[in-house]
Amino acid sequence: MLSFAIVESFVKIALLLGGLMTGAAYLVLLERRMAAWIQDRRGPNRVGMPLSLINSRWADLRLFGLGQPLADGLKFIFKEEFTPGHVDRKLFVLAPIIILTTALTVFAVIPFGSVIPFGSASAETFTSVMPGSSGSENLLDARQIELVVAPGVDVGMIFVFALSSVAVYGVILGGWASNNKYSFLGGLRSSAQLIAYELPLGLGLLGVVLAAGSLNLETIIGEQALNGWYVVTQPLGFFVFLVAAFAESARLPFDLPECEQELIGGYHTEYSGIKLLLFLVAEFLHMVTMAFLIVILFFGGWHLPFEITGFHVAKSGELVPSLIDGWGSESVVLAWLQAAVRVLVLMAKVLAVVVFFMLVRWSWPRFRFDQLMALAWKVMLPLGMINFVVVAVIEELRDPGLFGVRIDSWLPIPLAWLVGVTAWVSVSHLVSRIADNRPHRSLSPDAVDSAI
Amino acid sequence: MKSDDPAIRWIEEPKLGMAGKTYLSLFVHGMTTTVKHLTKSVAGKDVTVSYPDEEPQIGNPLIYRGVHRLNKDQQGRVKCVACFLCATACPAHCIDILADESPWPDREKYPESFTIDELRCIYCGMCEEACPVDAIELTSLYNLTGRSREEMIFDKEKLLSVFDETIETEQMKSADLGGTV
Repeated sequence: MLSFAIVESFVKIALLLGGLMTGAAYLVLLERRMAAWIQDRRGPNRVGMPLSLINSRWADLRLFGLGQPLADGLKFIFKEEFTPGHVDRKLFVLAPIIILTTALTVFAVIPFGSVIPFGSASAETFTSVMPGSSGSENLLDARQIELVVAPGVDVGMIFVFALSSVAVYGVILGGWASNNKYSFLGGLRSSAQLIAYELPLGLGLLGVVLAAGSLNLETIIGEQALNGWYVVTQPLGFFVFLVAAFAESARLPFDLPECEQELIGGYHTEYSGIKLLLFLVAEFLHMVTMAFLIVILFFGGWHLPFEITGFHVAKSGELVPSLIDGWGSESVVLAWLQAAVRVLVLMAKVLAVVVFFMLVRWSWPRFRFDQLMALAWKVMLPLGMINFVVVAVIEELRDPGLFGVRIDSWLPIPLAWLVGVTAWVSVSHLVSRIADNRPHRSLSPDAVDSAI
Repeated sequence: MKSDDPAIRWIEEPKLGMAGKTYLSLFVHGMTTTVKHLTKSVAGKDVTVSYPDEEPQIGNPLIYRGVHRLNKDQQGRVKCVACFLCATACPAHCIDILADESPWPDREKYPESFTIDELRCIYCGMCEEACPVDAIELTSLYNLTGRSREEMIFDKEKLLSVFDETIETEQMKSADLGGTV
């Protein structure tokens, strides 16, 4: 049984690594095509299958540029990998390794589906889709495989946060080891930005954790399947998390660590060849991680409303009915179908969020650094705190203990939206006055000089 | 510099309204522009021409300035009278004419050789403007390539063959088409 668990883990790791690397490569292609389309160009559409290399009489197949990721990868591998003489060699080599390792390790706790049946299906074994509650022994004897590399990690979100903090080391080390002013500035900016935005990211998450009562990502999905998506019940938290996620993955409009127009390439200016590829892939994986987190924390993960994906969450001994009654029925085919639908739904949602990331890239100009910091500390932090308080109050009212009143289950939703809009408008009004540090006519000459 | 210095022009930035302060108008504005361009491109309405696959549309071949040609008259003789006006007008000095006595009675001279260095030419069209008999013209052939420098020096035969190549699609200039004669 132990060997089975090990084999299962290795298969999942292999699937995940292969899927992530291939997915990242093709998402890069998608990003390039979308960037081109938004700029009224066509993008890379030539590289397909170079059949003429095999036989000169055969024509090359273009396949809409689907061979481009392979060509890009080959280019990176075969290009000269130049290490400048002025760099700190050990750290220079270490930085891309750290950043890619952490970016990949994060996915150990991120579910990429629900569970798949394994062996013979019976009603009893498939009642629980609340992993973590039953733990890994459930996995061994119940003959179902949870689609996450490390199932039942109760500190899942803390693991994600810890590793994304370690990823900052890769950026800072890369900037520092390059021994180059632009790289160093990029590294500095990145450290300041990522540390600043981890607070709103954590605050956005705290509301979800408070409502779900767990840090386990699979449990959070299960709670949403039962009680509704958190994007509906916690709009403010979702917003704070979304903005912080953009900043954490250093995407436009928050790509100050590597803005080409100011810092050439930021912290990876001095890198070339395969090391640069590692940096770029890691950056892309950060975006994919954030897309996964947004979907899992706020958009219900694999869940779709109206029980299309079906949910069989054993709560207080009752089974919640579902449209495709796969887990409860004897039919293994239906169970597999449902598992596949859940994986597809999750992937479709993640893809939608990634496409949103790519659209935003061409929609907004980059923030100035002081604006970035003001947004983090003066806007997002208060908003996150307000959201946290609101969620805490609602959760307290939902459980009739403190005040002895029980509010209806639909009431928190308009309440949360009302508070969200009010907080958003008031904070934005207050902050726009505070953040104005331009020289004014009313200032004294000295103040003007220092302001200029 | 003092803040009351008359040389300073103080400019008040416009006050942001509700929409600006809450960033909503910015968000909507940016996103609509992006989506508009995206949908336009995905629908295939972009302006890019995938050149080797599809030929670009030349708007008006009569005014396009591509490869030169030497026109022929009704009897198939070269129209050029070797007046050297084109060679004089040429800012790149790429036209080289060797004149000789004309074998025909209707003109005094004709070009014994007429050479244009297509690599030196800047395709300004001054030769076409200068020609008093509409003998030299720029066609709409845009994809001029060659494997050697020598190949790109066009002699009279080559220039006349360009005429044969293009006369089907591009008629000669006449008075009502903006020509001289």
